[in-house]
Amino acid sequence: MYCNKLPEIPDDRKKIWEKVDNMARANSLWVTAFGTGCGAIELRPLHTSRFDMERFGIAMRPTPRQADVLIISGYLAVKTLKRVIRVYEQIQDPKYIIALGSCTMNGGMYYDSYNTLNILDRYIPVDVYVNGCMPRPEAIIDGFSLLMKKIKEGKAEGWKNYIENLEYYRENQKKVISNWDLPDYNW
Amino acid sequence: MEKQPQRIVSDSGFEIEVVRKDEGYFHVRVSRANVIELILSAKQRCGKNILQLISVVDRIEDDIFQLTWILEDTADSSVFIVSADYPRENCSVPTFGDIWPTAVIFERELHEMYGIEFPGNPRQYEDFLLEGWKELPPMRRDFDTLEYSIRTYGERRKRIHTDPRKFIAETTGEWDTPVPMKDEDR
Repeated sequence: MYCNKLPEIPDDRKKIWEKVDNMARANSLWVTAFGTGCGAIELRPLHTSRFDMERFGIAMRPTPRQADVLIISGYLAVKTLKRVIRVYEQIQDPKYIIALGSCTMNGGMYYDSYNTLNILDRYIPVDVYVNGCMPRPEAIIDGFSLLMKKIKEGKAEGWKNYIENLEYYRENQKKVISNWDLPDYNW
Repeated sequence: MEKQPQRIVSDSGFEIEVVRKDEGYFHVRVSRANVIELILSAKQRCGKNILQLISVVDRIEDDIFQLTWILEDTADSSVFIVSADYPRENCSVPTFGDIWPTAVIFERELHEMYGIEFPGNPRQYEDFLLEGWKELPPMRRDFDTLEYSIRTYGERRKRIHTDPRKFIAETTGEWDTPVPMKDEDR
């Protein structure tokens, strides 16, 4: 049922085309509708009329196959990490991760919990962190504009990092997920 | 059918301690041998037809688990609460899964979070919230969550604190400590 081939980084293209592509990518960020923690509640005002993220070309998508961005909204439990890995690996390249809240950076108020991760970028590559507990919609928009800037400069390369260091990430993921039953890569 | 459970309490042949009695609220504590009899008679004679919750308090100082069954009558929303103490080591509690199907799920959660055995519950060993948990049950108070968190997820990144006075003194070389105002100057 699964494709066994591991992902590869595409060959280097001409820089000028990469720049054009990045311009297009940065102006149409589509987000997977997947809320992992309390911060998902802050995304609701963001994509309704008050803060209206569609004016930046950011839209919510129902499936990872159509999306570019995964938002880790707040604390991440081990059980959710397994689903996050599945969703993240199903997103087509190039893909970006925005992590919200202090819980994703250092555990936040759940630093001593038996079930939540302390440092997120050991398990999946994070492009932009937005601090706060929880960040207000303005802060999330600021995070998005930072991500756009990074994409345009060609610096948002977490997905390449993930492919290059897949063994490192897999080792850390398997260390916390005790009932690991995922394939080598979730195409 | 009598609605108030006082009659059951006065009729029963065993000792019952009344914790709190109020309008539509009756909380009693019994020894663990009489739990099944009391709960079944509350269901049959007083119409307490819903098991709302089974909750546990880990009283590690007394070396007991205090279990509480909350029963409710859907006709008048009156509540009947039964508490009993069980030893913490090899804790085994009778199941009510064959009377109320919700009890199967409550007991599954308690088995996972506290390690309490419910003999006769067919699904108690299934994973409830945690997947593949191999340690001591996490809600027991002798489980050290901080130690487990550091061992499994690594130590948190420390925050960097900067004292503005120290920072200014280091960068500019001088800092006039403000003198607090005296009361007569205010």
